[in-house]
Amino acid sequence: MRIYEDLRVVQARLAVLQALAVALVALLVIQFWNLQVIRARHFRDLAENNRSRLVILAAPRGALLDREGQVLVDNRPSFNVVLVPEHAVDLDRVVTRLAATLGMGEATLRERLARRQPYRPVVVKTDASLADVAALEARRLELPEVSVEVVPLRSYPLASAAAHALGRVGEITERQLELAEFRGKGLAPGSLVGQAGIESRYNRDLMGRDGFRRVIVNSRGLEVTEADRQAPEDGPSLTLSIDASLQAAVEKAFEGRAGAAVALDPETGEVLAMTSTPAYDPNKFTTGIDASSWASLAQDPETPLMNRVIQGTYAPGSAFKLVAATAALEEGVITPSTTFYCPGYLAVYNTVFRCAKPGGHGVMDLRHAIARSCNVYFYQVGIRLEIGRLAKWAKLMGLGAPTGIDLPSEVGGLMPSPEWKMRILKTPWYAGETVSVAIGQGQVSATPLQMARIAALIANGGRLVRPHLVRATAGRPVGGDTPVSIGIRPETLAVVADGMRMVVAEGTGWRARLSSVEVCGKTGSAQVVAKSRLERTPGIHELLPHGWFLAFAPADHPRIALAVLVEHGGSGGEAAAPVARQILAHFFGLDRPASPGAAGVVDTEAED
Amino acid sequence: MAGGIDRRFVYNVDWVLLGTALALALVGVAMVYSATHSGRSPDLYLKQLALVGVGTLGLVAAATVDYRRLADRAVLLYALSVVALLYVLRFAPVIAGTRRWVVIGGFQLQPSELVKLAAAIFVAKVFAEFRQETLGLRDVFVPGAAVALLALLIAREPDLGTAACLVPLFLSVAFLAGLRMRAVLGLAAVMLLLAALTWPFLKDYQKTRIYTFLDPSLDPRGAGYQKIQSQIAVGSGGLVGRGFLEGSQAQLGYLPARHTDFVFSVLAEEAGFVGVVVVLGLYLLVLWRMLETARLARDRLGAFLVAGLAGSFGFQVVYNVAMVAGLVPVKGLPLPLMSYGGSSVLSSLIGVGLVLSVRGRRFAN
Repeated sequence: MRIYEDLRVVQARLAVLQALAVALVALLVIQFWNLQVIRARHFRDLAENNRSRLVILAAPRGALLDREGQVLVDNRPSFNVVLVPEHAVDLDRVVTRLAATLGMGEATLRERLARRQPYRPVVVKTDASLADVAALEARRLELPEVSVEVVPLRSYPLASAAAHALGRVGEITERQLELAEFRGKGLAPGSLVGQAGIESRYNRDLMGRDGFRRVIVNSRGLEVTEADRQAPEDGPSLTLSIDASLQAAVEKAFEGRAGAAVALDPETGEVLAMTSTPAYDPNKFTTGIDASSWASLAQDPETPLMNRVIQGTYAPGSAFKLVAATAALEEGVITPSTTFYCPGYLAVYNTVFRCAKPGGHGVMDLRHAIARSCNVYFYQVGIRLEIGRLAKWAKLMGLGAPTGIDLPSEVGGLMPSPEWKMRILKTPWYAGETVSVAIGQGQVSATPLQMARIAALIANGGRLVRPHLVRATAGRPVGGDTPVSIGIRPETLAVVADGMRMVVAEGTGWRARLSSVEVCGKTGSAQVVAKSRLERTPGIHELLPHGWFLAFAPADHPRIALAVLVEHGGSGGEAAAPVARQILAHFFGLDRPASPGAAGVVDTEAED
Repeated sequence: MAGGIDRRFVYNVDWVLLGTALALALVGVAMVYSATHSGRSPDLYLKQLALVGVGTLGLVAAATVDYRRLADRAVLLYALSVVALLYVLRFAPVIAGTRRWVVIGGFQLQPSELVKLAAAIFVAKVFAEFRQETLGLRDVFVPGAAVALLALLIAREPDLGTAACLVPLFLSVAFLAGLRMRAVLGLAAVMLLLAALTWPFLKDYQKTRIYTFLDPSLDPRGAGYQKIQSQIAVGSGGLVGRGFLEGSQAQLGYLPARHTDFVFSVLAEEAGFVGVVVVLGLYLLVLWRMLETARLARDRLGAFLVAGLAGSFGFQVVYNVAMVAGLVPVKGLPLPLMSYGGSSVLSSLIGVGLVLSVRGRRFAN
């Protein structure tokens, strides 16, 4: 017997279940369509981010070489410990373990991690020691998100020598990251770029182009394979005009002194040596200087970070008389044989202007006035020239404007004029001021580089050079611009140069005299306080004037032009001339200090 | 003869259902291979293959047994289930924080998977006894409580996923048995209410899973990780997939539980949308043939048995795939037939065997 049950309700409801099944599967298909077709690209990117890591292969910066090819700045291999925080499953644990392994503070480490960009490796320790690397290697499996990269590190074998010219590298600043100059170069916070000197000015050339490796890693962060690689392009080396041996002599001559010196090739404007003291060791910046060391450098009253050669502005003092003499001859105010009587002072415009020699120099012509640095002679010159013509020639000779040297942050000094005074100080020009300006005091100020350029100008027949440091990029010469004549008559230059010869031969600059090479020079003192005050409080170093010495040599066919400034050294003849002599002696391969009286009349009186 | 093979039985074997189920199991083996070949146990796919073999034997055995004879022992099966689950709770070793497995002769067995089958037989038997056209809530209270006891015991392991499977199992049978629509909706409401009431009793990790489901970025390295990585795997598969053994999410180990609960992610990544549609099509075919079998069954008992099995099977497939696609919170629920795991494969294939048993006897007396 067969009993058939009534299954009609069952069958009707089964249709509902079948419909439900189809509907649910259709819903799933729609979701997969959404994920796999509509949003596929998005998820493909996420998968790519998951599995691939970009390892930057830092391009070594180009080396800096001296004019003979000697290495001034180079790179050495160093180890960086890097971490990709996104790949850490438990970042806290990694940080704790890493800090313990590297023996560094957890706080420092966290601070570095806080400044990161997504998916960019964070450098947690630069220039790690071999011991660090070994310790990390031993924990490779525990810390797969940590890796060690070999990166070239900037190295300055000369340490603080020429530090201001060569410059330094440092971590790129937030502000720099915004600048067009640094954009699109794959730079990120923590990247090292040139921050001063040649390193900064030629940063773009020196950087080269970083390469990269794109590696595939598994979920534990271990590298599985390399997907892509682009080799780094080394930055080209730069050949500088610096002569390492002369630079060393300059550094030696400045030992224990604060100040600046710059030596130029008077024909081309090439910088042969440049120093600014006190200096700093750029090696301390290569791995990112810590805040306290930075603060102590930046806040040091001796301003070791400042390049005095191009950023220090000083009253040129009597060195300015070269400008006044040139202007006076060119304007026909005097002739070389014009004489003035020096009684030791000049009373004019209701003021008594004093000469350095209390008893007076007596009757002086131009050459002797330069040689003895007679103030009264140049007071007279200034009165006859008037400020307009004096300022015109000073500006033609490069004062009051930057020289255009290939270094960053050069300042222009100041050459005052009635227009300037009205614009800035809102007061009219007093004729008495011209008298002060004529001997390089008052508002006039100049950098050592500007003064060296004036020495070069007199040496090379009246052409204004543009000082520069780079001779060649990657071996290819960099064409310097041809110096332009500023239209000084040769006779004028001959007289001024002869006056400068006499400065060394028989005048205030005798301490710069060399046995077999005729040196032309000019002393100067930049007063820090009024002379009367200095006389009341002798022996306070900070109140002593800055001593100047400008020079070129040999007198015929000059090969070197020089400006030396010794801060608070006293008079130029006493403080700066011996330094200049040391530099010149090395340049010409001579030695033995000069002695007074070797060549006739010598005036050892105080000069300014 | 009770255990004999009717000649008509062979005629009535649903070769489509059998073939589709075995095809899915083999796709599963391939995906298990892809997910594990480069890992620490590269031979898991062989084990899975062996389990499919054993499962197929189980399938044949289940198909051969007359489901009516099984139903006669429904109460016994239910009692055995309760005892087994109590045993698991009391004596099973703690593995990954849960007591789900017992070790028998070197094999790990998950009794809850087999309890699903027993529950299907039990529920079918109870509802087949009803003689009225429509059922009210009062009628389903006793079987409902019986199933709820099983679900509770499984949930205590804890294994919410498997416990949840009993709900659609029960509901689909009750629905077919003529439960009034009002009662169906009421029951669903009660379920939801119960789910809400269980919230304070959920373990922290379970709560976290639900929170991070709502917003995976809350914890991209923790509980949200699975959902995010699974979606990345699925999405990056694109239209045609990355190719077999070429999915970076699966091959480099970003995808969690990739040979078990997330095996479908591996498929989606490596075979793409096309592969997903094909495999979902196969699952739909299995479901369709099951429900068709229920329609053709000679008696209510057979129809209910198949409906219960289909309900739990369909729920598992839909929930697991929805989880892989990031539509529902992550729960430890394997994908029937494809996920690695002996008990799951065995239970799924025996379930298919029971369906075949019903279909084969549609003309038997």
